[in-house]
Amino acid sequence: MLTRRTAVGAGLAFGSVACAAGFGAYGQAPGRTREGRSIDTLFIDESFETPRQMAALVEAGGRALPVVRIRLEAADLAGLQRVLEKSQAVVGLSSGATLFCLERIAWDQGFRLTGRSQRCASGPGEACLQDLAAFLGGTHPAASPPSLARAYRPSRADGLLHAWVMRRSAGPQFRQGRRDV
Amino acid sequence: MKLPQNVSQADFTAALKAFAGIVGDQWVFTTDEDLELYRDSYSLMWGEADERTASAAVAPDNADQVVELVKIANQYRIPIYPISTGKNLGYGGAAPAFAGSVVFDLKRMNRIVEIDERNGYVVVEPGVSYFDLHKYIQEKGLKLWIDCAGPGWGSLLGNALDGGLGYTLATYRSHFDAQCGIEVVLPNGRMMRTGMGALPGAKTWQQFKPGFGPRIDGLFKQSNYGVVTKMGFWLMPAPENHTTGVVTIPRFRDIIPLVDAIGRLEQSKIVQGLWNLSSPTTGTSGDGGPGGGASKQKDSKILAILNDPGGVDMDKLDAAAGAAGIPFWACEFNFYGPKKLIKAQWDCVRDALKEISGAKFKLDEIRALPLSPEELAKMRDAVTLGIPTLKTFDLGPMLSYEGEDVVGHIFFSPIIPRTGEAAIEAMDVFATIARKYKLPYPPVQFPASMFERAFMYVVALPVTRSPTVNAKIREMFRELVLIAAERGWGEYRTAPAFYDLIMGTYSYNDHALLEFLETIKDAVDPNGIMSAGRYAIWPRHLRDAKG
Repeated sequence: MLTRRTAVGAGLAFGSVACAAGFGAYGQAPGRTREGRSIDTLFIDESFETPRQMAALVEAGGRALPVVRIRLEAADLAGLQRVLEKSQAVVGLSSGATLFCLERIAWDQGFRLTGRSQRCASGPGEACLQDLAAFLGGTHPAASPPSLARAYRPSRADGLLHAWVMRRSAGPQFRQGRRDV
Repeated sequence: MKLPQNVSQADFTAALKAFAGIVGDQWVFTTDEDLELYRDSYSLMWGEADERTASAAVAPDNADQVVELVKIANQYRIPIYPISTGKNLGYGGAAPAFAGSVVFDLKRMNRIVEIDERNGYVVVEPGVSYFDLHKYIQEKGLKLWIDCAGPGWGSLLGNALDGGLGYTLATYRSHFDAQCGIEVVLPNGRMMRTGMGALPGAKTWQQFKPGFGPRIDGLFKQSNYGVVTKMGFWLMPAPENHTTGVVTIPRFRDIIPLVDAIGRLEQSKIVQGLWNLSSPTTGTSGDGGPGGGASKQKDSKILAILNDPGGVDMDKLDAAAGAAGIPFWACEFNFYGPKKLIKAQWDCVRDALKEISGAKFKLDEIRALPLSPEELAKMRDAVTLGIPTLKTFDLGPMLSYEGEDVVGHIFFSPIIPRTGEAAIEAMDVFATIARKYKLPYPPVQFPASMFERAFMYVVALPVTRSPTVNAKIREMFRELVLIAAERGWGEYRTAPAFYDLIMGTYSYNDHALLEFLETIKDAVDPNGIMSAGRYAIWPRHLRDAKG
């Protein structure tokens, strides 16, 4: 049985070997992308039963990085908006349905999806951890947002978990807070 | 850079420069990356030559800017297409109805202009979402409820203009019917207010819908006669309590007396909350969500009948359900208000439905509002309590169709008579189509009762990224529309790809309705700049071009 200690250890050890600027660094301090922009937040889909190994990893990451659990509800989304307002780059682990919604909410804050992996689809195996580490460490190669946006199935029913990164683009932010007259 | 049809590069460049002069350079979008956000994620023509995409987008901050932008569009004959928050997924999203239009993205206009707890109304700009208004009411501690669409990120104003629906009391569920007062920038750039808003300094703009003279608010629903920049809505006083009551009815054809009895209760304003049909026999619910849910029925004899590839024999199903002691129908009612009112309403429901042999009744606990976060977390969705969510996306689309990933859905949503006979006929007709095209829907789907006096039947058709499969879905949609029209059932709302098809079915007296709408169009928008083609209303020059 996988314990929290072994899971965290495995993640960190793996990161230090496979991702020199990745999980090793992530364990110490917030990740830093190749562009020198830090990852500000890790989003976890609350509606998804986070596998045990992933949960341990997230908990470990939380020491250095804020972890925000997301549900598709009004109270949580208000908090999400506040996090996005203060962030430049965010990493997440979610169902396709939640990613679909978050992506569109984040568009209005100027974010674009720049990396997505489905290697978490079959569970939190080594490939999944590798990709998550790469996103957190900023070593995952960025893809063009349009190709990423059109390529995934926005479902929860398929049981697939997606790891992804969104970064703030140079464009303007639509959501600048509500204005009352 | 994509050019609007019949517009020169020089004129388009000049228009964009003039637009930027009004809103600022940063609010004019022309790059592929920015315009990607104005594609319809659920388009059935994705990546095809006929996909309707924008040439540019402009995001004004206020109504005065909209006035100036419309004047510029007229000067250069630029087709424009206003959107609110652009979340009309399943019915077109943020994409224009006419390819090459410049999208006017109004989501920066997100002011809650006025809210009145005493008289129960709010005035909002197009960019105010259900989430925004709900949060505002909570923060201010106002004793008001909103009636929200399924996805809470939609615009109140945009959803109402598209004919959208909600889930609370009948008075508020049909969102356009709940509006009171419109401010609109007409295609010539002139601003107008409807109803009492036409009276300068009016004190009753959001309190008296008729105004003076013709009531023209409806001209701005599902049309293209202006850019609506403000809209008032009646809001519901926050109720003291909520509960649900469930009535089970044993036999399939009991739906006929059931619907009749409920109809009388609704017409008498005794039942005002939403009621939903589900079937313990088929194991499916009737909330009109995207298809693909498997039946939860465990009885092997019933399952065998449900899974008959030739279709469900209702007589056999009825008999099997009866033998197993499983009721065919369950009808869940939502009740709101003081406890004594809820109990009185439930008594009336019991009195009306006890005539149906074998009817059983169960009233759930009457719970004081607001519910705690723990209680809310137990609910599948909180929209019946006026709390916006995005949980409808948790239902997900079906996973695949014809070997292609399903990336979304479009709705075929005809209005059918509010009778049990019509519901039975619709279930049979649409189940036959689902079998023909091997759609993974439950064998029996039920109509939804959001509208007060008619049923809405929702079929969510899959959208893929395969042009071949999407072409097949388009043909399927066409077939559904024509089959429905033959029976006198028309759609209440649709995606731009089907505007012309569906308007073509509203053809009484040689398309007199469309001719009237086009006459208005030519009068108020002679240059044909405003939302060309929206709900099949085309300006003269494009009608001529189409022949």
